[in-house]
Amino acid sequence: MATSPALSRRAFVVAAGLTALAGCSGKNSGDPNTLRISVSKHPLTKPMSTMEWPKQLEKIAGVKIQWQEISADWDQKKSTMLAAGDVPDLIIGTNAITNADLGTYRTLFENLADDLDALPNVKALFAAKPQLKSMATLTGGEVYAVPGYKRFWPTTVTHQYINKQWLDRLGLKVPTTWDELYTVLVAFKEEDANGNGDKNDEIPMDWSPVGTGGFGYFQPSVLLGSVGLPIAGGGGQGYFLEDGKVGNFLVDERYKQVIEFLHRCYAAGLVSKNVMTQDYSAYQAVGRGSGKVAKVGFSWGWTASDRFGAELADQYVAMAPLLAKAGQTTPVTWTYDSNGENFPSNQILMSAKTSNKQAALKVVNALYDKEMSLQVLWGDLGKYVKKISDKEYEVLPPADPKVDPSTWKWTVTIADAGPVWIRDDMEVKLPADLDEAVEQTEPLQKALANMDVDKDVYPFQFIQMKPDDTNQLGLNNTTMLNTAMTKFAEWITKGGVEDQWGQYVQQVQNAGLQKSIDIYQRYYDEYVKTR
Amino acid sequence: MTFFRKKTPGDVVFTLALGAICVAVLFAVVYPVYFVVIASVSNPSLISTGEVWLWPKGVNLFGYREIFNDERIWTGYRNTLLYSVVGTALNLVVTIPAAYALSRPEFRPRRILMLFFVFTMFFNGGLIPTYLLYRDLGLLDNWLVFVLPSAVNVYNLIIARAFFEHSLPKELFEAAMIDGVSYLQYFARVALPLSKAIVSVIGLYYLVQHWNDFFTGMVFVRDNALQPLQIVLRDILLSNQAFAGGVGASGGSGTSYDQQYADQIKYGVIVVSSLPVLVLYPFLQRYFEKGVLIGSVKG
Amino acid sequence: MAESLVAARKPAGARKPGAGRHVRRYWQLWLMVLPAVGFVAVFLYVPMYGIQLAFREFDFTAGLTGGDWVGLKYFRQFFDSPLFWPLLKNTFVIAFTTLVVGFVAPILLALMINQIAGGRRKRVMQTATYLPHFISIVVIVGMLQAFLNSSTGLLTRVSALFGLDGVNFLGDTAAFVPVYVISDVWQHCGWNSIIYLAALSRVDPQLYEAAKVDGANRLQLIRHVDVPSIVPTMVILLILTMGGVLNTGFEKVWLMQNNLNLPVSEVIATYVYKIGIFSTQFSYATAIGLFNTVINFAFLIAANAIARRVSNWSLW
Repeated sequence: MATSPALSRRAFVVAAGLTALAGCSGKNSGDPNTLRISVSKHPLTKPMSTMEWPKQLEKIAGVKIQWQEISADWDQKKSTMLAAGDVPDLIIGTNAITNADLGTYRTLFENLADDLDALPNVKALFAAKPQLKSMATLTGGEVYAVPGYKRFWPTTVTHQYINKQWLDRLGLKVPTTWDELYTVLVAFKEEDANGNGDKNDEIPMDWSPVGTGGFGYFQPSVLLGSVGLPIAGGGGQGYFLEDGKVGNFLVDERYKQVIEFLHRCYAAGLVSKNVMTQDYSAYQAVGRGSGKVAKVGFSWGWTASDRFGAELADQYVAMAPLLAKAGQTTPVTWTYDSNGENFPSNQILMSAKTSNKQAALKVVNALYDKEMSLQVLWGDLGKYVKKISDKEYEVLPPADPKVDPSTWKWTVTIADAGPVWIRDDMEVKLPADLDEAVEQTEPLQKALANMDVDKDVYPFQFIQMKPDDTNQLGLNNTTMLNTAMTKFAEWITKGGVEDQWGQYVQQVQNAGLQKSIDIYQRYYDEYVKTR
Repeated sequence: MTFFRKKTPGDVVFTLALGAICVAVLFAVVYPVYFVVIASVSNPSLISTGEVWLWPKGVNLFGYREIFNDERIWTGYRNTLLYSVVGTALNLVVTIPAAYALSRPEFRPRRILMLFFVFTMFFNGGLIPTYLLYRDLGLLDNWLVFVLPSAVNVYNLIIARAFFEHSLPKELFEAAMIDGVSYLQYFARVALPLSKAIVSVIGLYYLVQHWNDFFTGMVFVRDNALQPLQIVLRDILLSNQAFAGGVGASGGSGTSYDQQYADQIKYGVIVVSSLPVLVLYPFLQRYFEKGVLIGSVKG
Repeated sequence: MAESLVAARKPAGARKPGAGRHVRRYWQLWLMVLPAVGFVAVFLYVPMYGIQLAFREFDFTAGLTGGDWVGLKYFRQFFDSPLFWPLLKNTFVIAFTTLVVGFVAPILLALMINQIAGGRRKRVMQTATYLPHFISIVVIVGMLQAFLNSSTGLLTRVSALFGLDGVNFLGDTAAFVPVYVISDVWQHCGWNSIIYLAALSRVDPQLYEAAKVDGANRLQLIRHVDVPSIVPTMVILLILTMGGVLNTGFEKVWLMQNNLNLPVSEVIATYVYKIGIFSTQFSYATAIGLFNTVINFAFLIAANAIARRVSNWSLW
């Protein structure tokens, strides 16, 4: 219906579609006593003016900082800003400017490779963590974006949980294989596992909504680990590295096995009926049950408290990866996420036309200072982080007991969005959620140890691609995922993978898969050579 | 229907059927809206699990407290009010006379002019050239950006033009021409007073367009002091969605954000942002009431 | 009618009036239309040079007109894409269904509201039906999730009572278009009826009385008095609507999309968005957008031409 709002909506889409170009390079406001810094921060985060550390930055750099705080629609703002060549003095935010952006717009940014002497902290960071240096350095030796190091994050973000109380009530053991899991889930479904008198309100298995753009955290793609297929970051667009060879699991026989197993579960009514259609908040809310009554038996999440809520967290235990078959010889693996979490890329960039380069360099350097990094990540020293000695710090629990530590962190500082270097030689008492996550990674450690980080984890973070290749991959992947993600959902809910597999593989190949794999392989080989 | 003095059986059936359909439509429309209202004060977990239907459950005002605790919201309200009022005034001043001029059949260039306008409903240069233009005109981070570029909405122009074409009695114009009245005089003294209904509809369309505009603020304004209500509310709202979108840049830690917290805000935001426009509507509505205008023509 | 007036006058002023005479006669009309022309020229026409990007290689460093001219390369790329036909079909089905249903529903609603006796009841009805217009799309989709949830959703449970058991309204490919369209109509129907109500408010009461004297019942009154009075409005809106045969609300489709309904829910707008996200393919995105626009514009021109012939009224 052509109403005026509908028209403006159309205008919006066309605008997005027609996002065109510009040739002008930005003129900066020019006042050398003021630095304009854009920060892509979390919507929860309070204004920068409420924090102490930005004031310290101003003092160190000897200028006034004008913060442009952007907590929504960053991508939209960014694409306009870049294409119009209108960038502020500094841009802060993890991957706020991506490598793909740099492919097109690198001329807008300052090459920091020859400024490292003015950035002693960054220089020291590169010396301490050489992989960060290679991550930041383009093929021509330029460094436009400085990454960070967060040190404490567990190797994986996805943890696996089962409701132990339900198991105990039904006299069952924690499953170790797919078949055992199946049996347990059947019992969850058929019995009154949560003991509230209703046999039908249990959801044996649930996972995080799988988007149309590929796989992510807390999704059943981790079951690929059961068949020994090493994935990273939850699976992404299916590309993985195995013994130095790039592949894509979307056309791998082992992926087919996982799909078959999931369909078996789905067909038996063991998976939430809403698993393909619910949104993230519904998925979270269901996991939190009602009051003391849990609803979900088996699922994945960041921590038990986050996934099931503080009231129910105690009912769940973290599990080791499952074997696809009892007594299998293939070693199991798990999703390896540490690269993404501990080595956040592209955290800060400088405009090529900054009005006061010296001051801007001072700001960059100061951010990678030992104590400043702590403050950026967890909040002001003295208020949110306690200094015990020069080498010992404690992240204080939230002043508001109703708020969980992670929300607290995101409220009082820019947290994971900020450029940081958390030193390896410090003692830090971590906030409760991070502690819990580390602890719940424990059962997964063996599986993670089965992966050779150099040969089984594709170093997405550490590779800088040429724009042409990025574009080619973008096109191929969009087409490929259109088929693959549809089939993923269809096969699990309706079955048919056995009959359609051959034709499906052909179709995915037609989307240019081999070409994409070759591109990834080429970059990987170069990466290995230069290391 | 006051002219129906005595009711025939057919009329009774008609009235009953009408009543029944109206009640059904009313229910279908109002219930979901009612749901938004009760959801804004209920425990969000109970909503997602489908336990809130008729009455709010786990009542708390957390969402509203959170929304109104944000001091930016008052700036947002003030800005939006300013942009909407000034913007709509400019819209009407530019659109209504133009629509009238384009409605005159003897004004031959109107065909090409219409094409000139309609073309822009379909083709536009895209965001970046627009951004550059605004920058050169000094409209970035300037409140006029909310007012000037949207001065003419072609859709509204067409509606208004059609109204002038179809609803003003031709005889009136011809009589006025014989009296030697100029176009401007005729427009100001005759056409405009007879067109309150369309002016109020167009005004409402424009007003709502300004009220709901978040795109302008999103792309062309970085100064938080200038942001309209919709941007402020969106920022608050996105505390929720940033996580729903999953674990992007914020990493796994992001997901540990307490979902309980912000789902409620989503519903509160709807209530807070639409209330003022809703309150306004009945005031404009009286211009649509039957007879108001016809009477003046007759008199 | 308007056209016939012009036609009738033509012979009288057969001599072509010169520019000077035109200005002398119509300067006041020009004065009235010029501000609007000015705003549109500056804010909409000046940036239009951006369209050429569809025919050029996007090259940031080379500047505005610096990219290599590649002609129809990106259009060809789109036409050759295996997704071209599915995208076109999905976009058309969603847009066209919305267009037809969304066109008829407000008319029926307006005619109905107009029948309600008593200003107060009428106002309540009117205000109530236009309420949903203000609910943001994010929340609309959130509500759809809640109401259509396979296990707890109210509508799912209600439809189970009618024997529609186990329908996954959010995932079923057959359910996507109906859910999309019905919720769209639900949201905008009341708002879109405002314009018809304004037109109906101008019906001369004498017409009703005359018809009543002729013995018309209420349905006949609607048919012979109310409907003709809104036909002009209908024609305009229909023409404008026809210019949207390939338009879908991006945000709503995007939010409703999931892997189960993707075979019917991937539309041009979402595809362009994905292309934009995965790589900065400005030229390709511009080309697809332009293709979409041209198709829409072609339909508008066709609709306008038909309207000119059939109803004597047209946009230009």
